[in-house]
Amino acid sequence: MIERLADKVRAGERVSAAEALDLYRHAPTALLGRLADGIRARKHPDGLVTYIIDRNVNYTNVCVARCSFCAFYRAVGSSEGYVLGFDELFRKIDETIAVGGGQLLLQGGHNPDLPLTWYEDLFRAIKRRYPSFRLHALSPPEVIHLSRLSQLPVPAIIDRLVAAGLDSIPGGGAEILVDRVRKLLHCDGKATADEWLGVMRHAHRAGLRTTATMMYGTVETDEERLDHLLRLRALQDETGGFTAFIAWSYQPEHTELAGREATGVEYLRTLATARIVLDNFDNLQASWVTQGGKVGQLSLAYGANDMGSVMIEENVVRAAGASYCMDEVEIVRNIEDAGFVPKRRSMHYEILGDPIFREREVPRMLELATARQDGDTSVPEELLNYPARSRTGKQLRIIPS
Amino acid sequence: MPVSDQELTSLAATHDIISVGMLADDVRRRHHGLTTTFVRVADVPADIGAPVSIPAAAGEVRIVGTPTTRMAAVERVREVAAVAAGASSAALSAYSLSDLEQLAASEAVTLRALLEELRAAGLELVAEAPVDRLRDARRSVEEVNIAGLVLARLTVDQAPSADPLPFLKSVAELQRAVGVLRVFAPLPRRINPAVPTTGYDDVKRVALARIVVDAVPSIQVDWARYGPKLAQVALTMGADDVDGVSADDDASGEGRRRSPLEEIRRNIRAAGLEPVERNGRFDVVTR
Ligand code: SF4
Repeated sequence: MIERLADKVRAGERVSAAEALDLYRHAPTALLGRLADGIRARKHPDGLVTYIIDRNVNYTNVCVARCSFCAFYRAVGSSEGYVLGFDELFRKIDETIAVGGGQLLLQGGHNPDLPLTWYEDLFRAIKRRYPSFRLHALSPPEVIHLSRLSQLPVPAIIDRLVAAGLDSIPGGGAEILVDRVRKLLHCDGKATADEWLGVMRHAHRAGLRTTATMMYGTVETDEERLDHLLRLRALQDETGGFTAFIAWSYQPEHTELAGREATGVEYLRTLATARIVLDNFDNLQASWVTQGGKVGQLSLAYGANDMGSVMIEENVVRAAGASYCMDEVEIVRNIEDAGFVPKRRSMHYEILGDPIFREREVPRMLELATARQDGDTSVPEELLNYPARSRTGKQLRIIPS
Repeated sequence: MPVSDQELTSLAATHDIISVGMLADDVRRRHHGLTTTFVRVADVPADIGAPVSIPAAAGEVRIVGTPTTRMAAVERVREVAAVAAGASSAALSAYSLSDLEQLAASEAVTLRALLEELRAAGLELVAEAPVDRLRDARRSVEEVNIAGLVLARLTVDQAPSADPLPFLKSVAELQRAVGVLRVFAPLPRRINPAVPTTGYDDVKRVALARIVVDAVPSIQVDWARYGPKLAQVALTMGADDVDGVSADDDASGEGRRRSPLEEIRRNIRAAGLEPVERNGRFDVVTR
């Protein structure tokens, strides 16, 4: 049975939900890897493995969604809550450009005190200062949050953000696109499965490219994990707007949900299965940030063709207990050691060139930065220009610190 | 079926890590089926008088560190053996064979005499023998045996060179000569932090070790040293024994939510294998 399915995959045929489940549950890990690697090689016969130099910035950790798997957010009014100021963000962009980066991956909590105009002003200010710098920003739940906050439909929000400078949308907040799971994770309120897919559909129609993600290993069944992949595959059939898929394992430390992290072998099996099911996705990223550099590199044998981002900064996964770091030198060393040719890319997977550190001196990065230094509770001045929704936010607007 | 030299050379050169892993997995299954053993270890320092606490779950109590003198080495074994005898049925292991070689040389005694003294003080196993640091690997390993001790594991101090084959063949040769090696841990203990080994390096080294050093029953990975994720993947590519699982079940102080025992069993099962706990004497532990 498994051999017959393996032949089907080798022949380039699409697998059904039941077949995918059979493979995921019963195929030996080595066979899954082999099949996934065969697809990677078919889609990327040139032996290139790409990566991007961008910075993963979380502009605020204040969030009303309160997902039970999240260790990053702080409640409105928390003394540990922060919003980054425009100047802080400019500084981060300068640092990103210094190491050869050209993009911010900008995501944050659902902060009721940041209205749509704050985002528009921020995006415009960035584009004014750094015209060619790219903004890969605001995952679908953040777009929905803005839609609710400003009482405008999602397409209008997307149009306004694009007009302000948004270039593409990251696929965060997908978790598992099954509402039973989302309810259990207390994240159906921020976006149901249909709502998440709806934002992506609108974004693709508006000409934006986006990524897709999956956070597995919480409460979902194997069937639901595959359901997630099948829903992504269906939307990709419809729009073709996803550039890449990224799977990462739930990180349980310091979360309300707690529990345990899926193992490394489960990650490789999940990745390989995703490569087999998502036959209409060109690119699969390795999640070294959750798996560490070693299993991150091994992902290249299990279907991944991209090492993701050097990140420069990371806050969300670190809050939940994992803190790995790979700078460009390390990513390139791992790609070459696995027998591939490393190339820098853009979010759209255009090849930008060879490793930047081989062209000019770039400082080594042995630790990922954080959004803010510990204990920095400063409130950016420009926040006073925007109306707040929460009581704490309103008070802060009246009595600036 | 033995692998030819030519095949070995191409396996060592390939980037097709899955093929190498599958071959190694065949050898591993021939030796052990799905059984994957692990040992829970309680480390105690080598300093005389340092407090000794031995959790009941320990299968091996290991004195770690380099003894400064022969007297100190023997005395520490005596101290720990006394505590271990009252507290646990774990096997007592200590020291690195290369350190003991040096100690014997510096104190102008034979290695065998030193080993016999340690045994008389209560030692059962020499904790490790870093094969690349031993002055005379064959002779020293034999001395362990003649002194009535057991070598817990043959280890590697530093990755020998880009081509692991000559080194692995020398380990296979050593086993042909001594015949007493139970466990080989092929991943280097000392890692250059500026250029750490990669995942490919590590699993390929484990897999090649399984294929080349066929006569040593177990290929071991260290849970704590290399991390559960890498160690677990290595179990699917030739390794069958896990070292360094904490014996401290009350790990809540470190923020862990699961006991090390649950975690190791879960990881082994998630790799499609069957966990079996053993002690330092290689006896199966049933709890
Ligand atoms: S995952 Fe995102 S939306 Fe959910 S609580 Fe964390 S920051 Fe808020």
